[in-house]
Amino acid sequence: MIEFINVTKHYPGRHHVLRELNLKLPTGQMALLTGPSGAGKSTLLKLLLRLEDVSHGTLMVNGVDVSTLEKRHIPAYRRRIGVVFQDHKLLMDRDVFNNVALTLQVSGVSGKQIQSRVRAALEKVGLGNRIHNFPATLSGGEQQRVGIARAIVHTPEILLADEPTGNLDGSLSTEILDLFRDFHQHGTTVLVATHDQSQVERLGLPVFHLEQGMLQNAKEKSA
Amino acid sequence: MSAIRREAAQNALNTLLKQPLATLMTIFALAIVLALPVGLFAALNNLQQLLGQWRDQAQISLFLHQDATEQDIQQLQKHLQGSTGVVNVRYVGKEAALKTFEKNAGMTAAIKILGENPLPAAFIVELNPLSESPAALQAQVQKWARQPGVASAQSDLHWVARLQAILALGKTAVWILAIMLAVGAILVMGNTIRLHIAQRRDEIDVASLVGATRAFIRRPFLYQGLIQGAIAGILAWIIIAITITILQGPVDRLATLYGTRFQLLGLTGLEGLILIIISAILGWLGSRLAVGQHLDHTFS
Repeated sequence: MIEFINVTKHYPGRHHVLRELNLKLPTGQMALLTGPSGAGKSTLLKLLLRLEDVSHGTLMVNGVDVSTLEKRHIPAYRRRIGVVFQDHKLLMDRDVFNNVALTLQVSGVSGKQIQSRVRAALEKVGLGNRIHNFPATLSGGEQQRVGIARAIVHTPEILLADEPTGNLDGSLSTEILDLFRDFHQHGTTVLVATHDQSQVERLGLPVFHLEQGMLQNAKEKSA
Repeated sequence: MSAIRREAAQNALNTLLKQPLATLMTIFALAIVLALPVGLFAALNNLQQLLGQWRDQAQISLFLHQDATEQDIQQLQKHLQGSTGVVNVRYVGKEAALKTFEKNAGMTAAIKILGENPLPAAFIVELNPLSESPAALQAQVQKWARQPGVASAQSDLHWVARLQAILALGKTAVWILAIMLAVGAILVMGNTIRLHIAQRRDEIDVASLVGATRAFIRRPFLYQGLIQGAIAGILAWIIIAITITILQGPVDRLATLYGTRFQLLGLTGLEGLILIIISAILGWLGSRLAVGQHLDHTFS
């Protein structure tokens, strides 16, 4: 369960990025986070990853109060989450296998386990045959699939994605978002930030719409 | 070694091997920085060894009264032989002194004019100049001068005091230099690791995003510092050994001119090992400072 309770985020000398936000996404649900640029979508995801601190309010994630989480506990908390970025954030000097393996290496998973789990994750995203390719040799859609494999290889409780289809054309966007829906169907809580209105309508999932740091949509405040 | 540590060590080694020139330059810079103070320590050790060989050069002459009795002479000899730092005591009687004087000074005619032997009997005491402080040695000589039968004492201990002061100054200077160069070594390593961090910033950021701990991120950099530091220590040892081998020839020739032999001392196995360990620690410390600073920023 992801729950924002009166969460405010502001930066010193700047306007409020998020204001008194209340949002609830139950465990195992999938929702989309929409809104124009600057609405606060990325900030909301950064708060969930504890890349930024909550200014006011409480943020609970699967029983963990992220807003007061001690720094030394942040790595362990992040290992329970998978995250996908618009720019993939792949390491260009590592091949596909080693990019995906990083998530397991930081958790201290054994080499044998890493071999089998990375292969399985890459099979899931349809890249089983590109395991030793370097990112530069892959298309944008394939690179994003590597990013997704890296995010799901450790079977996280929660999967976050920040504009994962931002750089992809229509059909590739559909494939990528369908992948997220597959993971959700296996019990993972998924929150995807997107501004792709056609995909929002196609998927028919609960939507949290942000405008100027505030939740706007009356139709789906809670998934 | 656990799998994570093995992986980190492999990672560190790969990073170093990927940039052999940069790695070698860092190792050489560190080795030279380390070889300088250690080489100076070795030089001081050799100087002390040389002083040890010159211990019979510190001579005290105790001139006796003309009326000193046989008993005074025997008691004084016993007293001198039992004193601290005394290497040898030699009695020179009046006749022996005269013979030496005639032989060395060539003044036989002048002595004959005097009609009698004017030279006093004396004790020549050879001292180890490093057995006591110069002040203690001087105090001992003054004590001997007050013994029954002794007319006066003549010592050449001033050079010992000067030499010991120079040695003490040298040791202090080398310590200061060693500390400064150790800081230099840490900074060299810190700067190198900072460059590696800059090259691997993306990797650090992504690792942090997927839940890597500070220790996980820090480990390969620490191993890099440790490996480079240890290799630099070995290289510094080799540099010192080569320098000593090169200097041994000229030292042999110089020693021959003084009718002696002198073997230059390098580092012992234990000293070499300590050098490598200290060097590895300095490399590790430099890395730790650089990566710690970066992680404070990344994890803040």
